[in-house]
Amino acid sequence: MSEETVVYTLPVLPLKSAVLFPYLMMPLSAGRPSSIAAVEAALATESKEIVVFAQRDADVDAPTQNELYAIGTKAVIRKMNRSSEGHIELVVLGMERVAMLKLDGSEPFLKARVAPLALPEDKSAEIEALQGALIELAGEALALAQPNAPQELRGLLSANEDPLRLVFVLSSMFGLDADKAQSLLEAPTRLEALRMMHRYMAHEVQVLELRNKINTEARSEMTKEQRDYLLRQQMRAIQQELGEKGGEQAEAQQLRERLEKADLPEDILKEAQRELDRLEKLPPGAPDYNVIRTYLDYVLELPWRKGTEDLLDIARARQVLDEDHFGLKDVKERILEHLGVLKLNPNAKAPILCFVGAPGVGKTSLGQSIARALNRKFERMSLGGLHDEAELRGHRRTYIGALPGRVIQAMRRAGANNPVLMLDEVDKLGHDFRGDPAHALLEILDPEQNKAFRDNYLDLPFDLSKVVFVTTANALDTIPRPLLDRMEVLRLAGYSEDEKLEIAKRYLIPKQLKETGLTVEQCTLPDETIKRIISCYTREAGLRRLERAIGRVARKVALRVAEGNTGALTVRPDGLADMLGPEPFNQEEARRELPPGVATGLAWTEAGGDVLYIEATLLPDGKGLTLTGQLGEVMQESAKAAQSYIWSHADTFDIDPRLFKDAGVHVHVPAGAIPKDGPSAGVTMATALTSLYTKLPARSDIAMTGEITLTGLVLPIGGVKEKVLAARRAGILNVILPKANQKDLRDLPEDVRKQMQFSFAERVEEVLRLAIPQLSERMAAAKTHRIDHAA
Amino acid sequence: MLKKISRLPVLLAESLPLWEPKVDVCRTRNGWLLKFDLAGVHARDVTVSVRGRRIAVSGIRRDSILEEGSSYQSMEISYNRFERQIKMPVNLEHARVMLEARDGLLLVRVITEGKEYV
Repeated sequence: MSEETVVYTLPVLPLKSAVLFPYLMMPLSAGRPSSIAAVEAALATESKEIVVFAQRDADVDAPTQNELYAIGTKAVIRKMNRSSEGHIELVVLGMERVAMLKLDGSEPFLKARVAPLALPEDKSAEIEALQGALIELAGEALALAQPNAPQELRGLLSANEDPLRLVFVLSSMFGLDADKAQSLLEAPTRLEALRMMHRYMAHEVQVLELRNKINTEARSEMTKEQRDYLLRQQMRAIQQELGEKGGEQAEAQQLRERLEKADLPEDILKEAQRELDRLEKLPPGAPDYNVIRTYLDYVLELPWRKGTEDLLDIARARQVLDEDHFGLKDVKERILEHLGVLKLNPNAKAPILCFVGAPGVGKTSLGQSIARALNRKFERMSLGGLHDEAELRGHRRTYIGALPGRVIQAMRRAGANNPVLMLDEVDKLGHDFRGDPAHALLEILDPEQNKAFRDNYLDLPFDLSKVVFVTTANALDTIPRPLLDRMEVLRLAGYSEDEKLEIAKRYLIPKQLKETGLTVEQCTLPDETIKRIISCYTREAGLRRLERAIGRVARKVALRVAEGNTGALTVRPDGLADMLGPEPFNQEEARRELPPGVATGLAWTEAGGDVLYIEATLLPDGKGLTLTGQLGEVMQESAKAAQSYIWSHADTFDIDPRLFKDAGVHVHVPAGAIPKDGPSAGVTMATALTSLYTKLPARSDIAMTGEITLTGLVLPIGGVKEKVLAARRAGILNVILPKANQKDLRDLPEDVRKQMQFSFAERVEEVLRLAIPQLSERMAAAKTHRIDHAA
Repeated sequence: MLKKISRLPVLLAESLPLWEPKVDVCRTRNGWLLKFDLAGVHARDVTVSVRGRRIAVSGIRRDSILEEGSSYQSMEISYNRFERQIKMPVNLEHARVMLEARDGLLLVRVITEGKEYV
């Protein structure tokens, strides 16, 4: 380079957002009139030279000196062509860096006085190192940006000897911004230019790397799922080919298939799939593996939506119910009602029934019969002695060996979501510190809540609303009130003797004969024999003992047949003693004659009704009222009320008041070993006491029941049917009942109603007059006496 | 960015700030004849230098036919400085070089008289 500076004037071509570097060619398009004029001026010279400056602001059309960068590039026009739009397309080749000394802005084009601005020749180890690093970086960037770039491209980079040229080539290759390109052009030394470029390239590589990373991540995420799917498909194919279903993978696969086939509600399916995903990730040795497996088994086997078709044929249902059970009109009606409702509204809430009755009256078998009539599945579980809430509601899965509660298990066994579910002995639920199962029952038996019953084990809502719940109980008083409130109580009263006879003939005898292998011809049981069994060998509201007795008779007959007695055998009443032993119960004979102070009452027991004699006697030296015979509090109070009433009305009955003052009274109710309670013996107490004080005997052929008040009213009582049947069994055909119980006679069999005589009382006096015949005369006499006295 | 890179081969095709004329190299009875495609170039504007096996021909093409009032519609001929280096199979250090412009070609005659050193 010479020391003297050559200064020349050249036409100026301003560049918008681009920088021309020395050594590089660039295609350009001149469109502005001033640019076209400048190009034409350059073409009109021998050397075709022009100077190119970048504009600071690309939006300016006619730039002044300040709006152009001061350092540009002298260039030679290599090729040009006028386009049809009047533009000039040209290819320029950068020659050398120049500095603008002065811009001549006169028309028609810009001219500038420029001086070459050569870079000092500098060569150092740093430059070499930078150049090497830059080439490496560029190679990296190139590989990232265009992995398939031809090999020559990289060859070109390394072949460049002048570091400046390398910088310029890279700049145009990676399309740096105009600002950055301009700063490269303006770099005072090669070292500076290299440093700048190195910085830019490093940044560029980072950006490219990030971009690639994002791209590949997006791609790999998609392909992982595809890959999993593909592998799973392949595995299935291989396993099918081998005909094996071994291994936990097959197990999970099997579960998945079942899951796909199972008709599960949306949310249940989602939960099950989640568990299955977890299962697949677990090694089969993991303790959780089996837990999840069993859980999924349960979920899959439960009848979430599956129900049995109801058979809505009412006539058939009636027939089924009648076939299975004799009598029980109320209960059968209730079942048929529900069937009728179902016919009109298939989504009707199922009833929750509670059968209350003595043992052996057929509560459990009635449940089966209901299921048969409705054509539903039948499941039964006994709640007797159940004392852990978890039995009903299950244990949470965190416990080892956890299982669902009995309700869910019953649903699984039934395989339908609308079975008849019998909860036996609901009155015998226990409870302890672990909780009260009755509380869990509250939820299960509430039609508003059991739509989404949550078992602890499943932890998913199960719909129990279609289940017909039938509970049974012998007595209602041990059932918690809120629980009782949820159920529709249907009483199964005991059977009368005639009903028992009928049931024995229709069901029990054929059944027992069949079990012993006898034919009807081989063994005949006449009605008298059956009646004898009923009255002398059994005393119950239900039929179990009767059935056992008949079974024993049948076995004795079978033994004789087996011993070679081929003739038909008829069992006579006299022969029963040989077969069944001496009669355990004397026919509850009514006492023929009652001494004063004894009255006949009627009691309701869990085994049906019973005749009760209340005995009262005076204690000459005693005081007050002594009560014996295991009487409950209510019964004792009832006795006191009776006594008070009699005392306060002593003159009405013409009783000597001295009797009260001088002697105590002892009331005893046999049999002394049996606990008794309840208010219904009130009238009987009153009768016994009146009879005692008046020394007039009560009628022995009349029995009575009813609660009394201090003012002498007779209040209604329960268990009318059992009580009346007990009276009849004892041969007492006259019964005094509270007036309010008149409606209950409806429950009695027709023949009983015809055979017996009922009197209804509203006041104690009416009862007393009926029970103690001579009392009326006495009272009349007393009245006259009082009138006389008054007079 | 990729688009710009694809433009690269064009950019680098004639990357030097000089253009290169085409040349034919012929063997003659007494040496070599190099025919340069250099129409419109005065012989006085051309320099030939020989160093060992290398012959360099450089110069400048000036556009001397510029008529008053004319303007270019298109231009394909390269003007301004050019340079062409040719590597010969033999050493020509002591050969005689003659220049001649004929019919638009620049003829460079290298007379070795058989004194060629490989």
